[in-house]
Amino acid sequence: MSNGKRAFSLHPDRIDLALDASVYSTIAVQKAGYRLARRCSLVIECLAENELRGTLLLPQGTTEAHAREVAADFFRELSDQQLRERIQEETKGIRELVLAHAFSKTDLINRQ
Amino acid sequence: MTTLKQPFRGRTDFLPSSGYRLLPFRLNRLRERQDHYVITNDVGEHVLLSKLELEDFVDHRLGTTTALYRRLKSKHFLFDERSRVAIDLLALKYRSRVARVAEFTALHMFVVTLRCDHSCHYCQVSRQSEDRANFDMTPSHAEKALALVFRSPARHLKIEFQGGEPLLNFPLVRHIVERAEALNREHGRDLRFVIASNLSRLTDDVLGFCKDHGIELSTSLDGPADLHDAQRPTKDGSSHARVMDAVRRARAMLGDQSVSALMTTTPAALERVEEIVDEYVAAGFRSIFLRSLSPYGFAARSLIRRYNVQDWITFFKRGLQHILDLNRRGYAMREEYTTVLLQKLFSPTGSGYVDLQSPAGMGIGGIVYNYDGAVYASDEGRMLAEMGDTSFKLGHLDEDSYKSMMTGDALLGPLEATVLESVPMCADCAFQPCCGADPVFHQATQGDWVGHKALSAFCEKQTAVLEFLVALLEDDAFARRTLLGWL
Repeated sequence: MSNGKRAFSLHPDRIDLALDASVYSTIAVQKAGYRLARRCSLVIECLAENELRGTLLLPQGTTEAHAREVAADFFRELSDQQLRERIQEETKGIRELVLAHAFSKTDLINRQ
Repeated sequence: MTTLKQPFRGRTDFLPSSGYRLLPFRLNRLRERQDHYVITNDVGEHVLLSKLELEDFVDHRLGTTTALYRRLKSKHFLFDERSRVAIDLLALKYRSRVARVAEFTALHMFVVTLRCDHSCHYCQVSRQSEDRANFDMTPSHAEKALALVFRSPARHLKIEFQGGEPLLNFPLVRHIVERAEALNREHGRDLRFVIASNLSRLTDDVLGFCKDHGIELSTSLDGPADLHDAQRPTKDGSSHARVMDAVRRARAMLGDQSVSALMTTTPAALERVEEIVDEYVAAGFRSIFLRSLSPYGFAARSLIRRYNVQDWITFFKRGLQHILDLNRRGYAMREEYTTVLLQKLFSPTGSGYVDLQSPAGMGIGGIVYNYDGAVYASDEGRMLAEMGDTSFKLGHLDEDSYKSMMTGDALLGPLEATVLESVPMCADCAFQPCCGADPVFHQATQGDWVGHKALSAFCEKQTAVLEFLVALLEDDAFARRTLLGWL
């Protein structure tokens, strides 16, 4: 969904990531890695200016074809996570307003 | 007056100046349709849309005259300057959906005995024993448990008799029903009773009592005789014949809808779902619960190792398609797990099914009074205790007060830790409004209440079933009509 700079390089045991930090938030990257926990482990190594570096550690014996699949799924997931971040940011105030309004007539709110 | 937190702003701040504004929602990419997403909001409304449509919607490029725009607006995914009551409606719906939490414990399970005349392969809690002294609940414990039942503020109370085989201790069942009714004359609740039984001891005396007190029966029917009897052995191998006979007699005396049944999916059942459903039809049932095996107990664990969650999902999908075919051919039949999920998708108040709640239904939705006086937060919690893990034991009827059990760490710890809105992955999942926390499952399978959802068979099962249902509702007009008829 987003068109930020993203790069990855495949290795027998890992996928190195270099992501545009102005496009992808750290939390979105972490969430994308979390979702793929069955297939790889994410390590975020350093946050340089406007660049987020990370590694997806692969299980022993992963083929290159499978590693490419993991990389593709990671970036697909990352796009979804970034979109979720965007929606959450845009609607955060409304969510709080709805919840406050929902309980406004109950006796669950401390009144002063 | 109520003071609002600093970040809250007045309503007018949220009015769109032009175009439309997004209302809060969550999204999931469908695994079997990579270019499609399901989006849901906090009140359970859902819409299926393509990637391009989603991008247009989020980027505020959606034409205001399109059908999708109207659909998203009517389901509270966006609002514009012509939306007069969007916030009010959303708030009202949200309040309705969470009202159940304040209702508190409605289901009270009494394990009146652990003795049983069956040796089911997937059961860890029953004992084939004549030792009444060690395996029956005492009247004193029943009395103390009844006092706790009426401490719950719930307007609707259901007392469910469990075992073992509860009819092996029918005198205590009779005592509890009569005492509960006497106590309820003062409390005035909507009080109901269910006996969960294999029905092998269903005498006319028991049936007469059930009729007099409006007691419902819930039994197990695992499928055709060979499958049922192999999975639910008795000394004479007659479980299937007995349950079929008991169902007929119960219906004759109590009415057609007085008995419900559920099945448990074992490896032997996996390839036979159509036969299992057909057995229910032959027995005159109008519903079936296609229930996966739970990972509690050593025997169940050894069975569950012989199939994985994907096997069960295939079993479930085949079963549901077969049930829909039966409906297509004119036999009205529904699947109960699907019905629970549909209620969560479409009913303004969701579903009371205790295994799919957030906060979890343990303790505050249902509670178990065990035969030995121990109190557990859920039926699965007492099964886990049989394996030596007493994490979900709230206390003991002889030693602990209602207050100490309901506010102790054994209950509040898992409840607080597993609220879906704060759980990794669940917090962002589109299926969150139709799902639930299951601390006992994750404790049993991953060793902690929350569990890693990317590794969770519970999450895999829920996601697959819900994706399947959403696709059915979207693609198949007959299935949609039928499924909505189950609500």
